[in-house]
Amino acid sequence: MITTLRATPFRLATASKAISISTFCFPLHRRYHSYQHPPPTSPFTPAESAILSAALRHVPLHGFSTVALSLGARDVGYLDVSVNLIPRGVFDLVKYHLVTERLRLKISVDFRRLEQSDGAENLSVPAKIRVLCVERLKANLPIIHRWQEALGVMSLAENIPASVSELAKLSDEMWFLAGCDSHDMDWYTKRAALSGIYASTELFMTQDTSADFRDTWKFLDRRFSDVKSIENITSNIATWVDFTAHAFSNVLQSKNVRFRL
Amino acid sequence: MANRFLYTSSHSLLRSQLQPLASSALSHRCRGLNSAAAASSGISDTKAASSRPLTTREREFLERAIRVNQAGELGANLIYEGQYAVFKSDPRLRPLIRHMWDQEVHHLDTFNKLIAKHRIRPTAMRPLWNIAGYALGVGTALLGEKAAMACTEAVETEIGGHYNDQIRALLDMLKDDKELLKSGELRELIDTIRKFRDEELEHLDTAVEHDAKGADGYVILSTVIRGGCKAAIWISSRV
Ligand SMILES: [Fe+2]
Ligand SMILES: [Fe+2]
Repeated sequence: MITTLRATPFRLATASKAISISTFCFPLHRRYHSYQHPPPTSPFTPAESAILSAALRHVPLHGFSTVALSLGARDVGYLDVSVNLIPRGVFDLVKYHLVTERLRLKISVDFRRLEQSDGAENLSVPAKIRVLCVERLKANLPIIHRWQEALGVMSLAENIPASVSELAKLSDEMWFLAGCDSHDMDWYTKRAALSGIYASTELFMTQDTSADFRDTWKFLDRRFSDVKSIENITSNIATWVDFTAHAFSNVLQSKNVRFRL
Repeated sequence: MANRFLYTSSHSLLRSQLQPLASSALSHRCRGLNSAAAASSGISDTKAASSRPLTTREREFLERAIRVNQAGELGANLIYEGQYAVFKSDPRLRPLIRHMWDQEVHHLDTFNKLIAKHRIRPTAMRPLWNIAGYALGVGTALLGEKAAMACTEAVETEIGGHYNDQIRALLDMLKDDKELLKSGELRELIDTIRKFRDEELEHLDTAVEHDAKGADGYVILSTVIRGGCKAAIWISSRV
């Protein structure tokens, strides 16, 4: 089950692979983001949100389970049976955690305020990505001993598309918050690489017994150095295109066509 | 001959469609320049309060529109780059192509920034457009000046028409929102597209002045290229 998540991470060094995974790994419906018009409303109805957020508080004790769901429903004044209102049951509980923690990032990590208050130099984009990863991973702390259950639910066949898409959205969110302005194939490479790094570190964290998760942060840093200089991942494709263009002009020249690149 | 006539008439039909919009674009020219400047400042915080939320369909339309425009401008850049590589030793054509290319560079730059700003996934077909655009530019230029101009004419006709469709759709989207028509993100987008549309039409005029239609096999060349553009637009808006 977990192997599906583990399979993605490390072998993403080549952009070509990244592209083949892209078909389901990127937020394909990354719809227009407006600064003027209010964002679309939450994917959860108010009733769902109330039940799921209350249920999350029972996860440390009862795990990602229908018990937690029922207790949550009871907390906010619904009958146990109203758990049937939650269309995908326990998976929705997992998804609620994923969605709320993703959306919380932009509030909890405000780089502009951070940089002003510290008087620090502007952080580089990779440094910001690291801050965001750590922040997001720390949001799993209260439920970390239960997170393998969540990973199990996420890797059930019917939940994989939604889980992968949520991972892609997280990666996209982090690059956006870090101020990345990629608009070419780098856009894909960066998102694929970060999805892999994040998913593998999150998995590692569930097995980490070191004090203050020191090993997890080390693991994270090793993943970042694996993907050498994450900001400047030179897409193999760009190089390939350049090569092709030059090869093309060489062919023309060898055919005695008067032409220079 | 009959075919040729058909082409000229469809061409003038497009022009007449463009005329009323082109003239209204003039009155917006100043604002268009300002908005392009605003757009090129990258990620800005334009937060005018209390606009209506955009519907899913509208956000999808905007997503596709900006993606396909970026891809189109990328293609245009590569075509002119290819033509320039062939004609750069020609003192007459060099500045002409350089001028059009420079304008395309600005167009592409603007849409690159809009892609990042509005969090739109760029086209995944970029490697393909890189090769196709460049090959089209070099290929037609090697056939001679008139063929290169026929290529420009075909491409700019498609892009001009495509931009007009977008302007119409955007105006239609905002027809009940007086405030949004006056100012804001979408108004700026309309102005940007209008300004670019006008420049594409200048390129079209340049190509026609340089006897694009006198190219050998003009009808075939034009038909093939315009068909290719239509396919590229269809694919880029989606993939
Ligand atoms: Fe253009
Ligand atoms: Fe143009």
